[in-house]
Amino acid sequence: MANIDYDVIVIGAGPGGYHAAIRAAQLGLKTAIVEREKVGGVCLNVGCIPTKAMLHAAEVRAEAKHASEFGLNLNEASLDIAKLNGWKDGIVKRLTGGVSGLLKGNKVTLLSGEASFVDDHTVEVGGQKHTASHFIIATGSEPAKLPGVAVDQEVIVDSTGALVMPDPVPARMLCIGGGVIGFEFAQVYNNLGSEVKIIEFMPNVIPGADADAVKEFTKIMKKQGISIETQTKANKAERKSDGVHVEIENVQDGEKRTEVFDRVLVAIGRRPRTDGLNADKAGVQISERGFIPADKQQRTNVPHIFSIGDVAGNPMLAHKAMKEGLVAAEVIAGKPAEQDAVAIPGVVYTNPELAWVGLTEAEAIEKGHKVKKGVFPMAASGRAMTLQQTDGFIKMVVEEDTDLVLGVHIVGPRASDLLGEAGLALEMAATASDIALTIHAHPTLGEGVLEAAEAVHKQAIHIMNK
Amino acid sequence: GRDLHPAAPSVRRLAREMGVELNSVQGTGIAGRISEEDVRRAAGTPSVT
Repeated sequence: MANIDYDVIVIGAGPGGYHAAIRAAQLGLKTAIVEREKVGGVCLNVGCIPTKAMLHAAEVRAEAKHASEFGLNLNEASLDIAKLNGWKDGIVKRLTGGVSGLLKGNKVTLLSGEASFVDDHTVEVGGQKHTASHFIIATGSEPAKLPGVAVDQEVIVDSTGALVMPDPVPARMLCIGGGVIGFEFAQVYNNLGSEVKIIEFMPNVIPGADADAVKEFTKIMKKQGISIETQTKANKAERKSDGVHVEIENVQDGEKRTEVFDRVLVAIGRRPRTDGLNADKAGVQISERGFIPADKQQRTNVPHIFSIGDVAGNPMLAHKAMKEGLVAAEVIAGKPAEQDAVAIPGVVYTNPELAWVGLTEAEAIEKGHKVKKGVFPMAASGRAMTLQQTDGFIKMVVEEDTDLVLGVHIVGPRASDLLGEAGLALEMAATASDIALTIHAHPTLGEGVLEAAEAVHKQAIHIMNK
Repeated sequence: GRDLHPAAPSVRRLAREMGVELNSVQGTGIAGRISEEDVRRAAGTPSVT
């Protein structure tokens, strides 16, 4: 094509979009990125980063309570809520500023506004037309709405509204949805003083995680004081002078009751965002559920238009979007890249964390593997004891015939940081023996991964092998 | 059985670059792991003859 403005225009500057744009620029492509809100997208502005900041603050508060066990009395702690909100916003600002700087440093042109396709080689942004030989759609997702429970971002909030801690901290908090977002906010509010209840429509919370791990995790959350009701739904919510009246229904027996809360979080999932994109004008197909599906090279049905991240499909995770962004950019630059990851890690950043990578025990069995497993409890970890965090375990699922590691499931402090090793093991096709034979530093939480691998072979040292 | 090839990410990338289908490669490593050399051999260009 003659006279095109760019080799590639990336639509959306979230984790997927900015990874795609930077890699495209690194590979010598003339690149522009379109953003209608803030650079960094959901993850940096109203997702991963601010939630983790809130979790950390709340965790320090919770740990302070346990410090008296070793003689440190911090019981008269006070919370400056304005400062908490400001500190969190400051982190977000630093990181989004960093991404803007990286885009600029890599000579990626930032086009501010909403992109909509005019044809398959042209988008319009703020009344201006821009042409490109390739496009990468990275428009992300937004919170799903719950009929009858209208979000006002004051007392009935979605994950964005929940990030602003009200003053005073709400006395009674309801989280509708027992997924990752529901649990993370439940713990933030619980640790800062709210009485918190989670309701989940399905029989199990945290879909996709290993059943044993979820059971252990739920037990610990309940011990911390979070109330969890499964097979329960919210029919409607009404603001009254004494709080939000929520009609709650047990979906098994149909019994209904009304409970009153000071804050209600709707976290029932997210839906792909394609409004305003006019994808049809480029001939790009959108699925029934609103996704723009892509193949292993991240190509849509239109070969020069790519789709990555939340809008491309589940799981909606930042690190998946980042990888897909790199793949799309490399394919456009003519490299034989492919989204060929063996496993995508999942994490709930509560304390303890629930984190996993690879197949759950049930999935492994369903796929026809003969499975062996090894479990190492945190209670047997010296490092965990020194951290006052002995709840949880590390479970390793292994293929019996080959000893290949199929999945690792962790409930414990900093479980997310232990996933790097497990993920590498899966990608390298490591066996449980490979992990058991690797020297892990002592004392560390990571030793638990070694001991779980030893437990697979019934020769863990710090526990009796059954 | 395992529906993924027991090959490291860099070996999978090499296979794509050399146009080798991992399905057609017999891994000679532990637990049938496919090495870089296995891929080169399948492509007909082993680095050691």
